[in-house]
Amino acid sequence: MPYRTLAKFVGIFAIVALTGCGQTEPPAFRLDMVKVTENEISPKHQQAIADILGAMFGTPDAPFAMPETGLDERKLKMAAGPVWSNEAGDKHGLYRRHCAHCHGISGDGQGPTAAILNPYPRDYRRGLFKFKGTFTAAQPTDEDLRRIILNGVLATAMPAFALLPPDEVDALVEYVKYLSMRGQMETALENYVFDEGLEPDAPLDPATDAELKDIIVNDLLAGVMEGWNTVVEQVVVPTEEGIPPTDRSAEEITASVNAGRELFFGAKANCVKCHGPTGLGDGQQDNYDDWSAVTVKFEDDTRALADEIKGLKQDLKKKTGDERAAAEKELKTKVAQLAVRNELIAHMLTPRRAIPRNLRDGTYRGGRRDIDLFWRVFAGIPGMGMPATGPSAPGGQGTLTEQEMWQIVDYIQSLPFEPISEPQVRRVNVRTVN
Amino acid sequence: MNPDFTHPASPWPHRWAIALACATFPLLWVGGLVTTTDSGMAVPDWPSTYGYNLFLYPWTTWLTGPWDLFVEHGHRLLGAMVGMMTIVLLALLWRRDDRRWMRWLGGAALALVIFQGVLGGMRVRFDERTLAMLHGCTGPLFFAVTVAMVVFTSRCWWLRESSAVPPSAGYIRRLALVTCILVYLQIVVGAVLRHVPVAAEPGAFVLAVRFHLFLAAAVTLHVALLAWFVLSHARTIKPLGGLAIILAGLVAVQLALGAGTWIVKFSVPAWVSDWISTGSVAVQDGGWLQTHIITAHVAAGSLLLATSLALALFGQRLLPFASAARDAVSRRWEAAV
Repeated sequence: MPYRTLAKFVGIFAIVALTGCGQTEPPAFRLDMVKVTENEISPKHQQAIADILGAMFGTPDAPFAMPETGLDERKLKMAAGPVWSNEAGDKHGLYRRHCAHCHGISGDGQGPTAAILNPYPRDYRRGLFKFKGTFTAAQPTDEDLRRIILNGVLATAMPAFALLPPDEVDALVEYVKYLSMRGQMETALENYVFDEGLEPDAPLDPATDAELKDIIVNDLLAGVMEGWNTVVEQVVVPTEEGIPPTDRSAEEITASVNAGRELFFGAKANCVKCHGPTGLGDGQQDNYDDWSAVTVKFEDDTRALADEIKGLKQDLKKKTGDERAAAEKELKTKVAQLAVRNELIAHMLTPRRAIPRNLRDGTYRGGRRDIDLFWRVFAGIPGMGMPATGPSAPGGQGTLTEQEMWQIVDYIQSLPFEPISEPQVRRVNVRTVN
Repeated sequence: MNPDFTHPASPWPHRWAIALACATFPLLWVGGLVTTTDSGMAVPDWPSTYGYNLFLYPWTTWLTGPWDLFVEHGHRLLGAMVGMMTIVLLALLWRRDDRRWMRWLGGAALALVIFQGVLGGMRVRFDERTLAMLHGCTGPLFFAVTVAMVVFTSRCWWLRESSAVPPSAGYIRRLALVTCILVYLQIVVGAVLRHVPVAAEPGAFVLAVRFHLFLAAAVTLHVALLAWFVLSHARTIKPLGGLAIILAGLVAVQLALGAGTWIVKFSVPAWVSDWISTGSVAVQDGGWLQTHIITAHVAAGSLLLATSLALALFGQRLLPFASAARDAVSRRWEAAV
């Protein structure tokens, strides 16, 4: 009977809903458990890292900004904490009001709604941002973040917050940077514990260890901040003479489009490799974006661990005495590790491949202005496998000249209006991978 | 329940019940608006408003102040008005309706609206989203009670026109009841979706979304069947035919609003880009369209509950009991199910 099935469904849902909604504790930052597990960081060190981060960055309800970060604490307090507003209409808890349901309290891109969204919400913790006007490896400027918040990301669930007052947008920009810096610092600490090969019970307390404190502030934090502090020098500004004039004749535009087409299909730019011969984004489909690649690697490693456990169990039968006891101990450790990994995998977002953009759609996620497309061609899309054709840093040498990049921009902008002789019908940008 | 076909002496309980239901629906709409615009904490105290008695808060500040303050304080004022109207209805029922159970129902309605007010207050005092979710579930329940009182005091409830026993009468009665329960369940799941804690796991939200979609399909199927059976076999029994048509229409509207809610909240799903361009404008957060489509979806859910309840109640009252009316069609269908 369908009603019986329904009754079971209701029962399961009620249990999940009641347990899920029973939370009354203020939300807390979560550690990146994938990184923690991969680096085999002991529970003691996990707590130590959480404590260090708490001392450096505060909590979601009470954020703190060390002077080295250059963050404006007033803006952070406006964006953080629970949602409320006063009689004058000053809004607080802006991040939870507008962002946390998708991007998560920790900015890990794993808010409650994340799994139903395609693409997944951005994970800020790596300091990796897709749509920006800086060199490929550089952080985004405040203006880049502000532009995305105000305009949203087309054809995704990232909305345009154009109705927010400027001070609220500024507060959100600051908080996104804060979460990103905090996430990068967490990674730096987790890498430090791993690289130093600290024993599971070794102390990790900067309050009692001046050397450790010095390393954290002057080495790890400084490393994180270097990218953010030098961002102004990393802005991509096209040369004036290279920018196509607005009063070009039809012949000039056609010539530029043709040159762009040559580059698109040619070996130098080789856009065709991913975007495909029709520009439908039907080139290579096998790459994962950087965020999903982490998940895929974790799953592969977990499968390898499961295979290793099978092998250990087989070997165990042949062993006796002390050798067997040692093997049993190792097996027990591995089984526990596997359980932790499987538990994590059950809560991870399903990895998705980085499907190249359908350029005939006319939908450009990072913005539709000429300069937006130029930046995409120049600096690529970090994390997505879209390579930069410009230099990776100021003063460097790129694959293409600026003129060639503008020609590609012209060709891309012509694609939605160019007939396809043999249109290909295929699903675009939706494939998920098991 | 034994049918009592004696018409009450006064039309006022019915008229006032209609007025109460009509006042409750905008209250639900504004309540939905409170959640949609995240205005719940625009007034941090309760039952006062920024230290003022609820009714003495300066109306100029209310009308010219921030939007979220306008919505939240307006919701409180409307709630208070509905509470007072419920007291009046109880008094009318006590004086003008002989049915003891009806008086008790009036009392229960008053208790429910007080409970609902306190829930709303506690949601503010403790800034607790779980209470907001319960508040969102109790509101439609109170609306359903007001509509039930409209039904119980209506002329159709008292004056049943004599008609032949319609085929599938028992099936219609049961189907209407199940539909009503499913609609309320759907409202509860919707409330969970709207009040999901920010720290919840993505998996829990996915489960709720899937359940919401599953229930949408179940409700649609049940309403379609119900409308078909009523219009085929009991169209002449007033007001069943009309209610069935309204119910079917509401489901169609609600499905459209549900799809619209998804689009204005999360944009067009990626798989739709196979067929249509995903557009050149991003979703506008807090825009007029987003705010009112989402709120309309919430409010239409309550309207669906009220209509399905009215149909279920009238079905119980006006259709003969199942044993006499079960026909071959009904039995075949039930066997198939």
